[in-house]
Amino acid sequence: MSMLSRFMPDRKMKYLVKKELKSLFRSRWLIFGLIISPVFAWLFEGAFLSFVVAQTTSEPSRVFITLEDEGVWGQTLYDAIETDMDELLISELLSITKQEGDEMVANRTLSVWVRIPANFTQELEYNNVSTMVIWVNTGNFRATAAGNRVAGFAREVIDEIIVIRDLRVSWRTISPEATYGHSLAVFLVMIVSVMAPSPYIGQSFAGEREKHTLEALLVVPMSRVRILVAKLIAGLALTMVYSAFTVVGILLYNWSIIARAVGLPLAAMDYYINLYTVNIAAIPLIFFCQLLILLCAISIGIVISSAAKDQATAESLNNLVLLVPTMVIGILGFTGSILQYGGLFGIFVLAIPFSHAVLFLNGVLSGAATAASLMVNVAYMLGFAIVFLIIGAKLFEREAIIV
Amino acid sequence: MNETVIRTEGLTKIFEQGKKREVVALNEVNIDVSRGEVVGLLGPNGAGKTTLIRVLIGLLTPTAGRAYVLGRDVTEEIDYIRERVALLPQEAGIYERLTARENIVYYGGMYGIPEEELQQRADRLLDIVGLREKEDYQVKGFSGGMKRKVLVARSLVSEPEIVFLDEPTTGVDTIGARVVRNLLKKLSSEQNRTIILTTHDLNEVAELCDRVGILNEGHLVAVGKPSDIEEQFKAANLEEVFVGLFTGEGVYEQ
Ligand SMILES: Nc1ncnc2c1ncn2[C@@H]1O[C@H](COP(=O)(O)OP(=O)(O)OP(=O)(O)O)[C@@H](O)[C@H]1O
Ligand SMILES: [Mg+2]
Repeated sequence: MSMLSRFMPDRKMKYLVKKELKSLFRSRWLIFGLIISPVFAWLFEGAFLSFVVAQTTSEPSRVFITLEDEGVWGQTLYDAIETDMDELLISELLSITKQEGDEMVANRTLSVWVRIPANFTQELEYNNVSTMVIWVNTGNFRATAAGNRVAGFAREVIDEIIVIRDLRVSWRTISPEATYGHSLAVFLVMIVSVMAPSPYIGQSFAGEREKHTLEALLVVPMSRVRILVAKLIAGLALTMVYSAFTVVGILLYNWSIIARAVGLPLAAMDYYINLYTVNIAAIPLIFFCQLLILLCAISIGIVISSAAKDQATAESLNNLVLLVPTMVIGILGFTGSILQYGGLFGIFVLAIPFSHAVLFLNGVLSGAATAASLMVNVAYMLGFAIVFLIIGAKLFEREAIIV
Repeated sequence: MNETVIRTEGLTKIFEQGKKREVVALNEVNIDVSRGEVVGLLGPNGAGKTTLIRVLIGLLTPTAGRAYVLGRDVTEEIDYIRERVALLPQEAGIYERLTARENIVYYGGMYGIPEEELQQRADRLLDIVGLREKEDYQVKGFSGGMKRKVLVARSLVSEPEIVFLDEPTTGVDTIGARVVRNLLKKLSSEQNRTIILTTHDLNEVAELCDRVGILNEGHLVAVGKPSDIEEQFKAANLEEVFVGLFTGEGVYEQ
């Protein structure tokens, strides 16, 4: 028998899958949870980001500016920003010296500081490239938003006047991999997906032991590997419910952001909609990534659940093992890149399959990923799931499974 | 015809070997069973009855000795054996959210029986155990005895050559137990199926079993026709044999 044919679904497996699914779909609370959790998570995200939009737009920000350049481009940029203050949602534009700015940076009392350096015009004329510096305090939603608006606007100003010349913005902050909206979205997708299959796995493995239904199942003429694969198929089919409602959740989320942004000035509206909504074209990839997360979570769950004696133990162990790394990644995601650490901790972070899900989703949502980097993420998660399924199968084959 | 379908040779099963909790659950057990026989395994709690069944169906690996079912070694050709035997475990649970019919049909499906045939067998079995009217109810509302009847039916859906029933009638009411016994008798006499069952009900043994094997602390202390064993132990009935063997009060003079 070839390797692959050991796993290929057959008629016997179909009955086991049917049995699993019938049992599950009659557990109303389990299904209810699978529907409600993604929708709730995304609606919460929508409400939260609507709040952020409100925070960053309803009260315009104070922006500091330093013009060191004595040439024409610096002045042009300065004037343009000043003229368009309203569009940019800036309430006060305060001119300060570089020394004052540096002091505020040191004291952390600064939110946004735009610095047009001394040789700005000269660089632009000789090299076609010039750099302005924007400091933002990333702990402040308004500051980040205002900084982004100024940067986008400045680029428009320079590019409109001299097409071949290029304005660079040097951001002085920890550069985040994705915007707040995306970090939060990714975090929510992760945490909910990681937890979603836990009740099923608990019921399907440890539950069968606890309720003494496993012994009869293990004597049917099906190999243990096939029994495991059938249960895996049932688990994935079940989590499709969850994934489908994730899409519903994302659509509701987009709608809530758009509903909030339509009242703003046109430029600001575009800005927020682009920044916070999930690109519809990315949904299939999110769906795919979620499937990988679920697969990893299920495979970890199978290992734990095959080792645990009863369903309660399996579920609580499972939650613990899955929650801690997810939280670690989640918190790292909010403080900057999850790849910001090197050394042992860096390796630990990269070993967690869900890190690769975050990298994948960030890459897709921000459009910054390369095909190669996405492939690495996918391969790691698939490999991880396979290794854990093999461990699960070994645990499942041991004699003590029936006692 | 006297085809041997089960044979053990020095079959030994030791749990937690080498540890303080070591238990010799089967100790050099030798037993032969012919096709069509109904054999009752008797013995006090912890004697090794369930362990013997579990070894024969490949759920436990023997520590020493050999076991053959349908002429095949259980450690080598369990797939062949499992296609042809079935088990009703002692404390078997049931899928509570499935209906009585679904419990039977899905289980049979895992033996590779075609759908149409499955439904017909389910009809017949549900009729026999008297649960046809309730076949579409989820089992979670059933009484303990009703669940047990569904499980007995389920263990027969694959029409096994040998069926291992670990305390099939425990918890089943008088009439229900009779129904089960009659069904088993018919299976053995009309279809020549082999039945291995354990029970603590000595009347059941007397009524049903062609032969009994009495286990104690892993030893097969007696095996044979009930009447032969009574004679061998100079007892009036099996209960006296038991009293003699396990309390030391009686006439154990072998
Ligand atoms: N998995 C196991 N691990 C350790 N010891 C075990 C295991 N299974 C059974 N035993 C021990 O083996 C012995 C035989 O148990 P077994 O279940 O075969 O008894 P039994 O004859 O079926 O008893 P009962 O009438 O109570 O069902 C007991 O001492 C039991 O404690
Ligand atoms: Mg027993």
